[in-house]
Amino acid sequence: MMLKFNRQTLPFHAEFLIAGARCLIATNSTDVLESTARWRTKTRQPHRAASFEMEVLVDSAMDNTAHSASFFRGHRHLVFAMLPPRSVVTYDLLRRRVHAVLSAAAVRDRSFWNNVLLPITIGVLGTTVGVVPLHSACLDHNGSGVLVAGASGAGKSTLAAALARCGFSFVSDDWTYISKDGSTLVAYGLSAPVKLLPDSVRFFPYLKDIAPRRTLNGELAYEIDPSRATGFSVNYMSYPRRVLFLERTLKPGCDFVPCRSEYVREFFEKSAERLPNELIEAKAFRRGIIQTLSSVPAWILRTGESPQRTAEAIRDFILEARDDATA
Amino acid sequence: MPQLESLDYADPLDLLRRFIPTPFKALYRIGAVRVTVKTNDITLLPVFPLEVDREVLGERRLEWRLIRDAGSPDLLGPPLLMTSGILTIVTMGPACLIGVDHEQRELLAFIGTAIDARTHQEFLIPLLCQLTNDVFPASASMRFTAHDEASENG
Repeated sequence: MMLKFNRQTLPFHAEFLIAGARCLIATNSTDVLESTARWRTKTRQPHRAASFEMEVLVDSAMDNTAHSASFFRGHRHLVFAMLPPRSVVTYDLLRRRVHAVLSAAAVRDRSFWNNVLLPITIGVLGTTVGVVPLHSACLDHNGSGVLVAGASGAGKSTLAAALARCGFSFVSDDWTYISKDGSTLVAYGLSAPVKLLPDSVRFFPYLKDIAPRRTLNGELAYEIDPSRATGFSVNYMSYPRRVLFLERTLKPGCDFVPCRSEYVREFFEKSAERLPNELIEAKAFRRGIIQTLSSVPAWILRTGESPQRTAEAIRDFILEARDDATA
Repeated sequence: MPQLESLDYADPLDLLRRFIPTPFKALYRIGAVRVTVKTNDITLLPVFPLEVDREVLGERRLEWRLIRDAGSPDLLGPPLLMTSGILTIVTMGPACLIGVDHEQRELLAFIGTAIDARTHQEFLIPLLCQLTNDVFPASASMRFTAHDEASENG
């Protein structure tokens, strides 16, 4: 049987904002509208958002298919995703359209929407809808955003969790979605769970009460819902004013070494996903965002300290810089 | 000449495997449609005769991109067919993902390593031909003739 995405099969409609992008959703199920209600209430829209269409068919026959792990493939402007539980999503980056066939189990699972489908959708469509996904954490300090970048395993998530308990508001720990409001950069988070690797229990003893889980990419990690974590305050967005590149060293102390704009640009350009030539505008948009970001003050942060001590050093560094600026 | 290329393809900045090279190329005729097939595995090329006629101006054309996917060892799952009018998507689990863009005149397929030649030629290729004909509904009749790149180049 051929499943058809059209006006007749998708009678229910809604609109919501995610990472500053406007999503027009059409579906055959009111459960979809309920599961996306959280995003519809987000009305903070600092600029005219680019939009994409998401057509969602809920098919209970999917619940009887075999379970498979998450799986992604793409070519040119098409991207396929198989997402547990038992759902198939295709992304058309040229036309900014998403077609999803979801199992009934998936559509009613809010964590599927909030932690899997919508973050992946913004990650895949990203640059085509005016949002550049960057592999970095983001914290907010009195309206100023701090991006924390670094190689995988450098400890971005652990440091983000420590900063969130040290006077910073949590925006994101792994992927931050950067857009522009006029000439001002805006950083969005999706309130996805903070993923802390098992050895983080050394720094956060309260993790002993939580069981680590297998994440979408197969890693074993503690997942903490930032909106429910004790001592965390969460911001949906921030304005990046500083970039820190985290490097672990064996030498005690925290050193902040200023870095040039070329370093910032190269770091983000070299770590960006390759995009096909069909998406030439998206490539240019990403290049522009990274160029703007490279003019933000940046430092390499070399630390041999615990995440908590490093977080305190960052807080002091920022307060000191603010005092110097106001003196 | 090697029959397979890029099965060990790995690029940390191309997790979707978008840029797997498809160096093998052949030309076929499927009904009234001139089909260029590009692949990284020569065994995925259809076994019917190659196209020999020169291209006629305004002729219907479609490009197939068939990618042997070393990252998918699964067997075929039950088919899921969906269409939005512009796109037609067929999935059979991770072992087989097919997308047809009717406007761009492209057919893309990721085919897992567990799909043997017989299954591919006797099941998947007829399906791909059907999907090709669906892009051009008027071209109902199937006529397979031949012409390969080598003979095209003299």
